[in-house]
Amino acid sequence: MRDETVGDMLGRRGFSRRGLLKFAIAMTSSLALPPSLAPVMAANLAAARRQSVIWLSFQECTGCLETLLRTDSPTIAGLIFDFISLDYQESLMAAAGSAAELTLRQAVAANAGKYLLAIDGSIPVADGGVYSLTGGRTNVSMLQEFAPGAAAILAIGTCAAYGGIPKAFPNPTGAVGVEDVILDKPIVNIPGCPPIPEVLSGVLVYFVSFGRLPDLDDQKRPLAYFGTTIHDQCYRKPFYDQGKFAKSFDDEGARQGWCLFELGCKGPTTHNACASLKWNDGTSFPIESGHGCLGCSEPDFWDQEGGFYTSLAGGTGPGWRNAGIAAATGVALGAAAAIAARRKVP
Amino acid sequence: MLLSFARGPGMQVAALIMVVGMFWRLAGILLLRRRAAHAAARNPFGARLLGGAVTVFTRTIPRRTFWPRVAPGVALSYVFHVGLFIILFGGAPHILIIHEIFGVSWPDLPKGVIVVASGLTLAALIALLVRRLTHPVLQLLSTADDFLSWLIVFLPVATGILLSGETVGGYGTLLALHILSVEALMIWLPFGKLMHVALVFAGRGVLGYNFARKGAAT
Amino acid sequence: MKQYDFLGDDLVVNALLMEVADLLGGLIEQGRGGSIDLLGLPLSAKCMAAVEARLGDGEVSASLHVSGESVVRETAFAGVWWTRHADEAGRVTALLIEVAEVPEILRASLVDVRAGQLRLREMVAR
Repeated sequence: MRDETVGDMLGRRGFSRRGLLKFAIAMTSSLALPPSLAPVMAANLAAARRQSVIWLSFQECTGCLETLLRTDSPTIAGLIFDFISLDYQESLMAAAGSAAELTLRQAVAANAGKYLLAIDGSIPVADGGVYSLTGGRTNVSMLQEFAPGAAAILAIGTCAAYGGIPKAFPNPTGAVGVEDVILDKPIVNIPGCPPIPEVLSGVLVYFVSFGRLPDLDDQKRPLAYFGTTIHDQCYRKPFYDQGKFAKSFDDEGARQGWCLFELGCKGPTTHNACASLKWNDGTSFPIESGHGCLGCSEPDFWDQEGGFYTSLAGGTGPGWRNAGIAAATGVALGAAAAIAARRKVP
Repeated sequence: MLLSFARGPGMQVAALIMVVGMFWRLAGILLLRRRAAHAAARNPFGARLLGGAVTVFTRTIPRRTFWPRVAPGVALSYVFHVGLFIILFGGAPHILIIHEIFGVSWPDLPKGVIVVASGLTLAALIALLVRRLTHPVLQLLSTADDFLSWLIVFLPVATGILLSGETVGGYGTLLALHILSVEALMIWLPFGKLMHVALVFAGRGVLGYNFARKGAAT
Repeated sequence: MKQYDFLGDDLVVNALLMEVADLLGGLIEQGRGGSIDLLGLPLSAKCMAAVEARLGDGEVSASLHVSGESVVRETAFAGVWWTRHADEAGRVTALLIEVAEVPEILRASLVDVRAGQLRLREMVAR
């Protein structure tokens, strides 16, 4: 079983090579790769052996794990995901306590240098990292122990990528993303609160098929999925161009499906594939369901100026009280200047 | 991130500086001692006020005698100012900001109108700079204030056009640059020649009042 | 997909068809065609329909029942195939114009053939 390839596993489950090729064709399209790579991907996948993935959950809400494991099975995508992922959080906890610890160490030793380290949740560093412990060990120390032996690190979800909600002001636990702790390993950020499941399977399939990580942008996100903004792909863009904006939730414009820019949609500054891949196997995404994009795949989206419902055109002004104080200050300065000038006038 | 700063602390600081600055200058001017006018007024107070008010509007068009000299500059200037007015008060995102601050709004103009107005505004701005650089009298009179004020107005117009065109650069970056350039304008406005936004009307009004007091034609 | 709907719709369709013609040239001269990933292009629904209509229908149509339904249809131009893949939920996962004697997906893979031979022999032996 340990030496079984993906092709063997699929054959056992009744999937033909033709099915695998169809999957590869869909994957290359999703990853924005040339279609000619599909047979190559299929052949590589068929010959691939189990890819060890060590999954560590840190300061998280488990939303990312839930999202990713709720993908439909038994599709080929689900099966490959199951096959190549050796160690989930759940399977670690199936053996509890010290037995779980042993499983983890054995897996790390057996796959040294080759496993993918998947992290979800942020890493608290304040006060020595005591705010998130597993079996008495801090997240920081676990990350620092298991990162060196990994081929690459997948920071799954906005918390692992950038710190996420724990990092929101005032960040009492000192939460940070993986890239702030590990500086010398290839890291792929797969942000989103939660991230789109197909993005993770796409990255894993790419890695297993081609032996390297897909092309990343300057924030270490896979370009194939994060290269465009929600705004670029949004089906409501024609309304934006025509200046047809919903002014309040459930008003006439909102019911006509007009652009949600004035209701705080952060689509123009948010990079993700929600508008094209959508959620729940292509069912819908927030804007299609009538709510503006929160910008959940961007750093510090919880703390953005003005909150979720202030448009990108606006922000946080000084407020009327401060403006009044400023006006009074100005008048005082002007009066002082005028009085000083009066002294000079004969 | 740059955009967070622009929409948050940047906006707050710029707005406060602008308010302080504008009230400072206006109060400083209004509270200056004026030389007492010892001659009797030729017109009653009402007429003097009316003279002041009327002058604000009559000075919109230069005197016919001066047209050959000033017409090109005035015409270009009007194209710029009217264009900017259309952009600021007819463009959806700007109306949105006014609504967020003051709670009032009105229907926006079609985007095509704004696009044309933006193009004309930008062209007029550039033409005005060229005029300032090539006109013999303006060359002698121009100061750093003139050029800085020009630049600080040019940048918001240019970044705004790039942002709404959505062809060059990332939306987030362009938006941040646009907002930051507007903040720079807000900070500079009270302290240089841009303060004419408030002073021009006050100046015309005082002039008209004084002329009416003297019984002179305005 | 970003939608472009402008006067140049015809130009886009023609450009795409020219690319298909070039791929056919490769097939004829070097025995190697190629594929165009239609979902990866910023085509409006109108453009897509126009391309499909211009390519028309040919002599062969094949349905695949593997991980959902797929249809591979030869167009009115021999060697130019219109391929539509869908998953179990019916959602389109890939849309391609394939230039080949026969699209790879229709061929039986030798691995599957070997597995089939084993099953056939077992069935006969029983």
